[in-house]
Amino acid sequence: MKRFILKRVASMVVTLWLLSTIVFMVVNVLPGNVARKVLGGQALEEDVIRLNARLGTDKPLLEQYWTSIRRIFTLSFGDSYKSQVPVSDIIFPALGRSAKLALLAFIITIPLSIAAGIYAARRQDKPIDRAIVTVGLSTSAIPEFVTATVLLVVFAVKLNLGKVYANPPDGVGLFGQLEYLLLPALAMSIAYFGYIARMTRAGVIGALHADFTRTAVMKGLSQGQVMRRHVLRNAMAPTIVVISTSVGYLIGGIVGVEKVFNYAGLGQTMLDAVNKSDIPVLQGAVLLVGIIYMVSTLLADLFIAYLNPRVRLEKSR
Amino acid sequence: MYEEMYEGAGRDLGKLEKGLINSYVEGAVSRRSFLVRGSVMGLSATFLGSVLAACGDDDDKSSSSGGDIKQGGTIRIATQTPGGPLDPVAMAELGTYTQIVTAFEYLAGPGEGAAVAPMLAESWSPNDDGSVWTFKLRSGVKWHDGSDFTSADVVASLDRLAGSNLSAYIVEGASTAVDDLTVEVALNAPDGQFPYQVSIYNPQAVITPASFELGTTLDAVKTGTGAFKLESFDPATGSTFVRNDDWWGGKPYLDKVEFVFSEDLPTQVTGMAAGEVDAIVQFSVIGGDALLNNGDLTVESIRGAAHRQIWMNVREGEFTDVRVREAVALGIDRQALVDTVLSGRGDIGNDSPIAPSYEGFDSSQPQRERDVDKAKALLEEAGKAGLEVTLYYPELQEIPQMAELIQTQLKDIGMNVTLSLEPYATFYDKWCAVYDSTNEPAGCDGGEDFGIVDYGNRGTPDVYLVKAYATGEWNSAHYNSEEFNAAVAEYQAAIDLDTRKAAVKKIQEIANRDVPYVIPYFYNSLTAYKKNVSGIRATGLGHYYLGKAGFTA
Repeated sequence: MKRFILKRVASMVVTLWLLSTIVFMVVNVLPGNVARKVLGGQALEEDVIRLNARLGTDKPLLEQYWTSIRRIFTLSFGDSYKSQVPVSDIIFPALGRSAKLALLAFIITIPLSIAAGIYAARRQDKPIDRAIVTVGLSTSAIPEFVTATVLLVVFAVKLNLGKVYANPPDGVGLFGQLEYLLLPALAMSIAYFGYIARMTRAGVIGALHADFTRTAVMKGLSQGQVMRRHVLRNAMAPTIVVISTSVGYLIGGIVGVEKVFNYAGLGQTMLDAVNKSDIPVLQGAVLLVGIIYMVSTLLADLFIAYLNPRVRLEKSR
Repeated sequence: MYEEMYEGAGRDLGKLEKGLINSYVEGAVSRRSFLVRGSVMGLSATFLGSVLAACGDDDDKSSSSGGDIKQGGTIRIATQTPGGPLDPVAMAELGTYTQIVTAFEYLAGPGEGAAVAPMLAESWSPNDDGSVWTFKLRSGVKWHDGSDFTSADVVASLDRLAGSNLSAYIVEGASTAVDDLTVEVALNAPDGQFPYQVSIYNPQAVITPASFELGTTLDAVKTGTGAFKLESFDPATGSTFVRNDDWWGGKPYLDKVEFVFSEDLPTQVTGMAAGEVDAIVQFSVIGGDALLNNGDLTVESIRGAAHRQIWMNVREGEFTDVRVREAVALGIDRQALVDTVLSGRGDIGNDSPIAPSYEGFDSSQPQRERDVDKAKALLEEAGKAGLEVTLYYPELQEIPQMAELIQTQLKDIGMNVTLSLEPYATFYDKWCAVYDSTNEPAGCDGGEDFGIVDYGNRGTPDVYLVKAYATGEWNSAHYNSEEFNAAVAEYQAAIDLDTRKAAVKKIQEIANRDVPYVIPYFYNSLTAYKKNVSGIRATGLGHYYLGKAGFTA
C-alpha cells in the first residue's frame, strides 16, 4: 500500500513537470508580445519595453523556461504579469471560490443522482427507469454554458431570483451567499446529474444480476441487507471513479459556467490568463488543477480499494 | 482694446487671454468656444460669465443635476475588470482608469462640454507665448492619510510623467515649486493648450504623492485626494471605496462605492438590466441595446472624439494610389453605419480626426457622401476594378458588425473584401505596423495593409495627429506628408486662436484629400444608471465622478 502511494506520488511529479512544460510551450507559441497584451494595444512603446524588461519576458526562451520550471519545485510561481501581485494571491482565492461552488454543486447532485440511479436500476425497463435515463441523457448532452445562460436569463433577469454576478460581495453571510451561488451550482448539477445517475444505474443493475447477489438473496438476507452489503459495495466503483474525476473537473472550474455568471473561480482565471499571456498565473492554475485531479483520483482508488478487497489484492501484487 | 473687459479677472492678463477676449467681443469666437478656451487659459467661470454678460450674452446654463439627494447609501457599479496593475503612470485602459481616478485627481477636471475646470489647481495662466504655465494649487487639500497636498507632489508627479506620458511636452526638472501652492512648468515648446495635458483628457496625468515611485500601485499605497478612499481591491472580483469626509469638494453623499468587475460587456449589461447594479460606467450600443430602451434607467450619451479608423497602407500594396483610397471612402455609407451599428448615437466623420465636437472644427468643409458611380470610376481609372483585399479588425464592440457592413458596401463598388477577425489580444500585432524605414520609429513589424482600429476619446486631437498621421508609432497607414506635418506643427505652435483655426482647417483638408484613413464616424460614449441615482459625472474616458452623486429620496 505504501509503495503504491509512493509510486503514484512519483508519477505525479513527472506529470506536473510535463504539464508545466506544455503550458510554457503553448503560451510561447501563441503570438503576441506579453507586455503589449498586458498594457493594451495603445500603450506607449516605451512602457511596453519597460514592462517586458521588468517581467523578464525579453530574455531568451530557454532562460524563461528554466525560470518557469524552477517555480514548480520552489512552489513560488512569481508575480502575475497582469496585476503584478504574487500568483498565489490570485489562484488560491480563485480555488477557494471554485471549491465553494463545486461543493454546493456536489451537495445538490450526488444524493439526488445516486438515489435516482438506484431507483431506476431497481425498476429496470419500467417507465420511471426510462424517464430517468432519458432526462439524464438529455441534460448531460446540453453543454453547461447553455444551461447556465438559460438559467441566467430566466431566473436572474426575468424572475429576479438569483444573481447575474455570482461573486458574493464582502460581508455576505453563508446563507446570503447561497443566493449568489445557487444558479451556477444548478447549472453544474444539471450537467452532472445524468452522468452520475446513469453510472450508478448501470453499476447497480450489474450487481443485481451477479451471482453473489443471487446467493445473498437465496441465503435469506433481507432486501435492505442485500442492497447495502452486497449490491452497493460492488456497484459503486464506477460511480466513485466518475465522482472523483468530476471533483477535479468541478473544482478546476467549469469555464463556461464561471464565465456566464462572471464567477472569479479557477476556470475564469485560467481563461483570462490565456487571453493576457499571463504565464505565471496560467502555470500556477494549471498545476493546481493538475494536483487536484491527481489527488482526487488517488483518493478514489484508495476508497474503491477500501470498499472492495479484491481490488486491494490486485494492486498490491 | 476693451480694457474694461479685462478687469475682474483677478489677475493681470497676458497676450493670449486678451486676444481671446478681443476675438469674442468682435464676434470671431462663438460663446461655446470662448468658454472652452477661457477655461483652458485658467480664467474663472465667474469672470468668463461677466464678459458674456457685458456683451449681452446671458449665461443660460442652469444646473440640472442635484435634485433632492439624500445622505448615505452604497452604490454598486458595473465596470470593466482592470487590465493591469493599478499603476497611475503605466495604466493603459478604461478598467484601470476608473479605479485610479476614483482616488486620484488632476490639476484640471471636467468642465462644460470639452472645457476643463479647476480641480487640484484653482487657476492657471500662461506667459505671453504659452511656453511657461503657472498653476496655483487649491489650498487645504489633504491626501487620504491626512497629510497636506503641496506643490512638491505636483512637481514629483510631473517629473515622473516627463519620462513617459508627457515626454513630448516637458523634461524632468521642467516643473518647479515657486511656493507651497504654486508650480511653474516650462514646456519644451510653446503650447496654448497645455492644461489639457494635465487634465482628465490625459488620464495618466493624475497627481500622486511625492513619495510615489514609478511602478507604485494604488492598492499597495492606498491614497489620493479624491472624494472616495480605496478600502479594498481584488483584481478578480471588485473594489470598494469609502467616503472621504475631508474631500475639498465637501462631504460626499454616498457612504460607499462598490465596483463590480467583469471582463466582458454582456455580464455588465445583464447585471444592469437585472437591476443588480445601480450604474454601468461605460457601454456601447452593440450589446447594450437592452439598456437603451429601459424605462428604469437614465442613459447618458457623451459626445466625443472616439472613433474607428480604417487604415490603408499608402506606401506598399493595393492602396498606394490615392484614387483607390478615395474610392473606398466614397464606397462607404457613413449614415448607414451610424444608424445600424450605433443606433444613431454618433457623428458622421469626414476622414479627418478632427471631431465636430472639437473647438476649431471647420464645418464649412464639404462632407464626403457616398457615391458608388464615382468610386467605381476611380477604381477603374486606377486599374483596380474588382480589387480583392483582406480587412483586418479586432473582436471589439461594434467593429465586427461594422466590418461586415463595409464588406457589403464595398461590394457595390466592385471591391471584394475578405474579412479577417482577430482576437483582441493579438490584434495590435497586425495593427502596430512600423517597418524598415528610417523615418519611422522602431517598434513592431508585420502590420497589415487594410484594417480597422479603435481610438479612444481625447480632449484635443494632438494624439491622433501626432501618432497616427505624422510619422508616429501608430501610423499604420505609413502616411508621411511634409505638407501635413507642417500643418500639424503650425497647429501645435499656434498660440492665438486664428492661427490655430487656420491650421486645423488645413489639417482637415489634407487628411480628407489624401485619405490615409477613412474615419466614418465619431461615436458617443454611453453610461447608464438607475432613475433614483443623481449627480454622476461621466466623461466617456473612464472617469466616473461620484463626489456629488447620491440616491434621490
